[in-house]
Amino acid sequence: MDAILEVRSLTKRFHGVVAIDNVTFTLERNKILGLIGPNGAGKTTLVSLVSGTLEPTNGSVLFEGALIHQLPAYRRGLLGIARTFQVMRPFPGLTVVDNVAVGALFGAANGSHKLSGAQEEAHRWLKFVGLDHRAAQRADALGGPDRKRLELAKALAMRPKLLLLDEVMAGLNHVEIEEVISIIKKVRDQGISIVVIEHVMKAIQSLSDQLLVLHHGEKIAEGKPEDVLSKDEVITAYLGRKRS
Amino acid sequence: MKLGLKLALAALVVGLLATVPWWGSPVMVQFGINALILATLAQSWNIIGGYTGYPSFGNSVFYGLGGYGVAIAMVQFHLPFAVGLLLGVFLAVLFAFLLGLPVLRLRGHYFAIATLGLAEVMTAIVSNLEIAGRNVGLILPLLKGDTVFFELSLALLAVTTITVAWISRSRFGFGLIAIRENEEAAAVMAVNTTLYKILAFALCSAFAAIAGGIHAYWITYLDPSSAFDITLNVKMIIMAVFGGAGTIFGPVLGAFALSAISEILASKVTSLASIFFGLVIVAAVVFMPRGFADLVRRFRQQRWRYFQENIKAHRV
Repeated sequence: MDAILEVRSLTKRFHGVVAIDNVTFTLERNKILGLIGPNGAGKTTLVSLVSGTLEPTNGSVLFEGALIHQLPAYRRGLLGIARTFQVMRPFPGLTVVDNVAVGALFGAANGSHKLSGAQEEAHRWLKFVGLDHRAAQRADALGGPDRKRLELAKALAMRPKLLLLDEVMAGLNHVEIEEVISIIKKVRDQGISIVVIEHVMKAIQSLSDQLLVLHHGEKIAEGKPEDVLSKDEVITAYLGRKRS
Repeated sequence: MKLGLKLALAALVVGLLATVPWWGSPVMVQFGINALILATLAQSWNIIGGYTGYPSFGNSVFYGLGGYGVAIAMVQFHLPFAVGLLLGVFLAVLFAFLLGLPVLRLRGHYFAIATLGLAEVMTAIVSNLEIAGRNVGLILPLLKGDTVFFELSLALLAVTTITVAWISRSRFGFGLIAIRENEEAAAVMAVNTTLYKILAFALCSAFAAIAGGIHAYWITYLDPSSAFDITLNVKMIIMAVFGGAGTIFGPVLGAFALSAISEILASKVTSLASIFFGLVIVAAVVFMPRGFADLVRRFRQQRWRYFQENIKAHRV
């Protein structure tokens, strides 16, 4: 087995609050890990600890067998970790294509260091996510669903080995969700390992090879989607206790 | 307009300006030198303030260090002017690196306030340095004629503007813009934000230092309060913002326009001049907050609606 990401006894405290509590898991290369849990369970915090926007209080993160949890965010980007933000963070004053070009310019290997090459590559990724028709507009002119696509294109343009997707389907309609699911599958087929945070259960079930459930920062279940979702403690965490 | 066409036009303007000392009046040439130096300062501020989004109030320190580099080299060591310029650039870049490390960690208003105190600190330090002439200052050797200084200032402005044009189309510049637009997102996209901010700060310090060196040699006198004058820093920010921060030609146009306005006003009624100058700036910020360059770009499509929308955005 070839692990791309290993998280070992990871803990993050914000002053008194324990956001991530002793979480351990492994993601195999070329697999999709679904990360679910109620609001405030610590899903985004976990992604931030892996991508480097937060530093852990305890524990370690290994990427391709090397410790990375003390590296600054940009170094992890160079190694091949890309993420999207749940609260979308486009570069509002730049055009859509230039937003994506930043990813191509600075991302991992094979990136173009020339602007024209990066913009060509950006157009390819915009076509891939179905946003090329708005390439010349400013990013702050985009509505919610298109911003989600832009986040995805920016992360993909970095040509990552590991992609962390933080609720890229929130606020999308059924047709759009189907589109994004097929895009994510295509990305996986290119050999990219993926962590997906999602509340849309249908999407999580059809995408995930493996599911991890967080509740109050703790891992309460892990395994195949159909097994995990039938567990009592998962149902309780999501829906509350069954009446006896 | 295409960038190539703009640059060709700019080259033509530079060529025409270069002939000014041969037919212009002495007053005009002296006004020109001041305007060119201010435009260079506004343009160099544009790199850190306009492109990187860090509103620096420390650029007048770079300017002052450039002046002192020239003054100390020429007066104390009898070295040529060029060596003095190099010394000034070295001092300013060193200062930018040492200072950038702690100060560039702060963002927005905090960064502005932290840099605001630097000019005062430098005034106090230099006033106590024997080699810098303490608070009496230094008198530089006199070089007669303004032509050399005019051409030097023009060349410096051209080089600074070419550098900014390169920045706007380069990987480096895209990194800076990404930092300005959203620093955390930039870091996640593998931009080495700390390094890029410091490089931008150092680059802008070098241009400001050369401008300070040329100015010191030109007026042949330098003392701490005029070298590290904070109002000069305010001027370069106003000029850059008036013309359009984060654009290639905006700060230059802003500097020329505001220099001309203040020159015309100052020659009429002096007391009213500063009031009117203030009004012009307030009006500019209300009606065209993204500067003259943005006005030119948008006015063609939006006409008068452009001003209405800006006023609405301000909730005036």
